Amino acid sequence: MTAESGTARRPMLAALPRFSQQINRVLTWVVVGLFVVWVVGNFINAPKQFVSVFLLGVTLGSIYALVALGYTLVYGIIELINFAHGDVFMWGSMIAVTVSAHWLGLDGSQGWYVTAPLIFVTLLACIAFCGTLNVAIERLAYRPLRNAPKLAPLITAIGMSFILQNAGALVYGFIEQPVPDIFPTKPLFRIGGIAYTQKSLLIVLITIPVLLALVYLVRSTRQGKAMRAVAQDMDASRMMGIDVDRTIAFTFALGGALAGAAGLLFVMYQTSTRYDLGFQLGLFAFTAAVLGGIGNLTGAAFGALLIGLIQAFNEGLSWHTPGSSWTQSVIFSILILVLVFRPQGLLGEAVSDRA
Amino acid sequence: MAGDLLTARAVRKEFGGLVACSDVDFTVPQGGIVSLIGPNGAGKTTFFNMLTGVYTPTSGEVTFDGHEVVGLPPHAVTQLGVGRTFQNIRLFPTMTGLENVLVGMHARLKGGIFRSILRTPGLRREEREAADRARELLRYCGLPREAEHTYAMNLSYGDQRRLEVARALGTEPKLLLLDEPTAGMNPQESAEFTSFVGRMRDERGLSILMIEHDMKVVMGISERVTVLDHGEKIAEGTPGEIQKDERVIEAYLGSAATADNGDGGLLE
Amino acid sequence: MSGRTGALGDAWARLPKRVRALALPVTVLLLVVLYPNYYQDVFNALGGGVTGQLAPTVPTMVVMCVYVIMALGLNVVVGYAGLLDLGYVAFYAAGAYIAGWFATLQFAPHKVHFLSVGVLPVLPGLHVNVWLLLIVGAVFATILGIIIGLPTLRLRGDYLAIVTLGFGEIIPQAVNNGDDWFGHNVTNGPNGLTPIDSLGFGVTIHKTFSFLPSSYRLEINSADYYYWTGVALVLFTLFCCIRLRDSRLGRAWVAIREDEIAAAAMGVPLMRTKTWAYAIGAFFGGAAGCFYAIFKSSTFPQDFSLNISIAVLCMVILGGMGNVWGVCLGGAVLAYLNYQGLEAVGNNLNHYAGTNLNIPQYTFGIFGIIIVAMMLIRPQGLIPTARRKIELEAGVEGGSLYDAAA
Ligand SMILES: Nc1ncnc2c1ncn2[C@@H]1O[C@H](COP(=O)(O)OP(=O)(O)OP(=O)(O)O)[C@@H](O)[C@H]1O
Ligand SMILES: [Mg+2]
Repeated sequence: MTAESGTARRPMLAALPRFSQQINRVLTWVVVGLFVVWVVGNFINAPKQFVSVFLLGVTLGSIYALVALGYTLVYGIIELINFAHGDVFMWGSMIAVTVSAHWLGLDGSQGWYVTAPLIFVTLLACIAFCGTLNVAIERLAYRPLRNAPKLAPLITAIGMSFILQNAGALVYGFIEQPVPDIFPTKPLFRIGGIAYTQKSLLIVLITIPVLLALVYLVRSTRQGKAMRAVAQDMDASRMMGIDVDRTIAFTFALGGALAGAAGLLFVMYQTSTRYDLGFQLGLFAFTAAVLGGIGNLTGAAFGALLIGLIQAFNEGLSWHTPGSSWTQSVIFSILILVLVFRPQGLLGEAVSDRA
Repeated sequence: MAGDLLTARAVRKEFGGLVACSDVDFTVPQGGIVSLIGPNGAGKTTFFNMLTGVYTPTSGEVTFDGHEVVGLPPHAVTQLGVGRTFQNIRLFPTMTGLENVLVGMHARLKGGIFRSILRTPGLRREEREAADRARELLRYCGLPREAEHTYAMNLSYGDQRRLEVARALGTEPKLLLLDEPTAGMNPQESAEFTSFVGRMRDERGLSILMIEHDMKVVMGISERVTVLDHGEKIAEGTPGEIQKDERVIEAYLGSAATADNGDGGLLE
Repeated sequence: MSGRTGALGDAWARLPKRVRALALPVTVLLLVVLYPNYYQDVFNALGGGVTGQLAPTVPTMVVMCVYVIMALGLNVVVGYAGLLDLGYVAFYAAGAYIAGWFATLQFAPHKVHFLSVGVLPVLPGLHVNVWLLLIVGAVFATILGIIIGLPTLRLRGDYLAIVTLGFGEIIPQAVNNGDDWFGHNVTNGPNGLTPIDSLGFGVTIHKTFSFLPSSYRLEINSADYYYWTGVALVLFTLFCCIRLRDSRLGRAWVAIREDEIAAAAMGVPLMRTKTWAYAIGAFFGGAAGCFYAIFKSSTFPQDFSLNISIAVLCMVILGGMGNVWGVCLGGAVLAYLNYQGLEAVGNNLNHYAGTNLNIPQYTFGIFGIIIVAMMLIRPQGLIPTARRKIELEAGVEGGSLYDAAA
C-alpha cells in the first residue's frame, strides 16, 4: 500500500471535533427549548402563581446580579474565581444589620423621610466596608501570588472564604441575625393571593441604576479603559504606563462595593442573614456570571436574572419542578452543563486562546 | 512525486478575522530536508501547529504516511511519527534531561498502571532499556553528561535547544519538525547544528521540516525551501531559486523595516 | 562521627547499609502498629485527665488513617497531575454508600447474603462480605470518577475546580433527597444508613485462627482491629502512590502539570492520562469512604459536605503537594486536630486559663488560615518535593491545550 494512494485512511476520531461542535449546538438548543416548554407549561398551568413567582425571581435576580458582577469583574481582569466574594457579600449583609438596626435604630416605625436617608447612610457604610475588605483581601492574599501558578490564588481564595465565614461567626455568632422590616412592605398589588410588596420593587429599582452606572464606568471612563486594557494584556498595559496594581485594586473595590450594596438589599429583603450564606449564594451568583459569559458585564446581569428566575420557578411553581430541596442541585447542574458544553456562556462567542 | 511523507492540501487557519494561513499546499518528500521561511507573523508556527494536531485547520487536509491528520489530537499525531520542537522552548522545566527524553518516549513504552505498581520484571527491563536509549539520545544530540541529572530549567540555552531535539527524537519520529532550532545560537553553534541536522537525516532515516530565520542554515542544508508571507505561500523551490525570487526579496525587504526586533538577521 | 558516639556507633556503622536504611522505617512502623498497646501510657504520661485528652485515642487514629488515605488519593490528582479537585468528597460518599447499601437492612425485606461474616443468617437486607465491599466501593468510586472526569477533564484548571465543586455539592443533596427518588427510598435520606456490618473474619476462620475476631464489632477492643486494618490500608495506598509516582504514568502526570501542550506534542494522551489520575484518586477516596462507613457503622448525607473536600485539600497543601510523606503528615495532623485535637486544646484552655471557648466550631476557619498561610509563606508545604518547590517559587506553568472555549 502506498502513501499517496488517493484518500487517506480517515480514523473515526478525526471527525469527532467537528461532529461534537454540531452536537453541542443542537444540545444547547434542545435544552433551551425544553426550558421554554417548561416555563410556558407552568404559565399555562397556573398563570397567576406564575406571574407572582416571576416577579419574585426578578427581585432575587437583581441581588444575584450585583454579586455576579463582582465575580465577573475580578475574573475579567485577573482570571481568578474569587471564592471569597460571596463571603464579602455576607459581611455586607452583616454590616447592614449592625448599622441600620443597631446603630441607627431603624425598625420600620420611622417615616420614609427618616428611613430613606438613614438607609442611604447604611448603604454607604456597606459599600465602604466591603470595598475596603475586598481590596485588603486582594492586597494580602492575591497580589503576592500574581506570578505563582494559576491554582495558587484559587486555593488561597478558598481559604479566604473559610476565614471570612468563621470571622463572621466569631463576631455575629452561628445563628441567624434578624433585622426588622425597614423597607416599606405595603403590597402594591396582589396576584393569586400573593402580594407584590413595595420593597420587592424597590430592590429592582435600586439595582438597575447601579448596573447602568457600572457599565458606563467600565465602558467610558479612564479608569474603565485602564481596567479593560489590563484585562487584555497585563504586561502591555504596564508598558503603556498603566498602574496595573492600582487598576486591579480598583476592580476589587468596585466588586466589593457592589457586594456591599447587594448585602444591604438582601438583608432588607430577607430580614435575616447568617455567617455561612455567602458561600452558596456566591456560587449561585458565580453560576450566573458563567451563564452570561464570564467577564461580560451585561451577560452577568442577564445570567443573574435567569438564575433568579430559575430558582424562583423551581421553588414556587408546581408543574414538573423538582422543588426547593433540589435548588442547589439544579443550579449547580446548570453550572456544570454550561462549563462543559458552552464555556463561553449563552451570550459569548467562542474564542480560542493561543497555544 | 512518489514517496511524499507529508502532504498538506489547501490548509487554512483563521483566528477570528485574521487569516494566519491561507490555503497552503505543501509536501515533504520521504527523507528530505525542507525549510519553511518567512517574515515574522507569516504563519509558519501556525502551520506547524496544524501539522501536529495542536490546531485544527479551518479547512484543508493533511496526510502523513497514509493517515489523515486533521482532527487527531496531538498525541495521536506524534504516535504516527511526527516529532517536533518548539520555537519558544517548552521543556518540562523541573524534570531532568533524562526525564524529559523519557516523556518523549511515552508513546513508545507500554508500562501500564498495574505493571507499574507490581513493578514486574518485564517492566523493569523496559524502563532500564528506555533509560539507556534516552542517555544515548542525550549524547547523540551533544548534551553534556551532567544534563542527564540536571533540571531542564538549569541547562544552558543551547543545551535546552539540544534537549528539545533529543526529546523529539525520543518519540521515534519519521518526520521531525524543528521550529527555529538555531534561534539564539552563535554562528559556530549554528554551523554545528546545520551539519547535525544532515547527520540526523542520514543516520536515522528521518525526514526533516524546519522553520528557520538564519539564511546560512537554510541555504546550507535544505533541499527545498517554501516561503510564507501573510499566511500565503509566495514561493517554493531550491535554495538557489528562492534567493533570486523577486517576491521573496520584496516580502523580506518590506518587513525588514518593521521587524527589527533582533530575531536574527533575516537577510544575513 | 563514630568516635563521638562510641562503641555503639561503631557497631552501627558496621551494620550492612541495607539494615541501616531500614532501621528508621521499621522503627516508625513498629511504633505506629503498636500504638493501641501503649496508648494508655501516653495518656498517663501527659498527666491523664484534661491534658491526657491531647493523646489521640485509638478511634481518632482510625479516623487519621482514613484521612491519610484520602489525602494520598487526592494527592495523586492535585499533587501529581496538578488538577484541582474540589469535589473529592463525592468519591468518599460513593464508597460509603456502597457499604451502606450492601451491608445493612436498607433493602429489607429482600434478603441476600454473600460470604458475609459476623452477620446473623436470619437478618434481612443485603449483606455482602465487607472486605469485598472495600474493593467494590473503591471500584465504584473509580467508575464514578471516570464518568465525572471524561467530560470535565478537558476543561482548564479553574473551570475544572468549580465543576468538581459543583459535583461535590450535588451529590450530598441528591443523597439527602434520596429517600424519595421517583418514589423509591434509595438512600434513606437524612436518616442515613445504619447499622453497617462489621469487618471480621467469619466463624470458620475464627475457629482455626482464634486470635482473629469473627466480627470486629463483637470484640471489646474493636477499635484496635479497625486501627490495624486502617494502617494496612494506608501502607497499601502509600505503596501504590510511590510506585505510580516513579512510573511512566507518573512522569506523564508531571509533564502535563508543567506544560500540557508540550506533553501532548510528546505523545502523552492528555485525556487518558488525566482520567487515570482522577480514577486512581477516586479509587482511594472510595476505599477510605467505605472503610470509614464500616468503622462508624453508619453513613449520613451530612458526612459529605464541601468542608471535607476542603479539609483533605488542606492536608495535601500543608504536607506538600506531590510528596507522599508530607501528605501523610498533613493528613494525620489535620485529621487529629479536626477530630480530637482542637477540642482537647480548647478544653485545656478552658480548664487552665479559665476561658470559655468553643474552638472546634472554628475548625474550618483555622483550616482556612492554614491554607492561606501555606500558600503565601510556604506553598511547597512542610515536606516539599524538590520539583514542586521550584515550580511554585518560579511560577512554572504551561498553558492548557483544551482551553475552555477551544
Ligand atoms: N492562537 C492564536 N490566536 C490568535 N491569533 C494567533 C494565534 N496564533 C497565532 N496567531 C496569529 O497568527 C499570525 C501568524 O503567527 P505565527 O506564530 O504562525 O507566525 P510565525 O510565522 O511563526 O512568526 P515568527 O517568525 O514570529 O515565529 C500572527 O499574526 C499571530 O498573531
Ligand atoms: Mg513562529
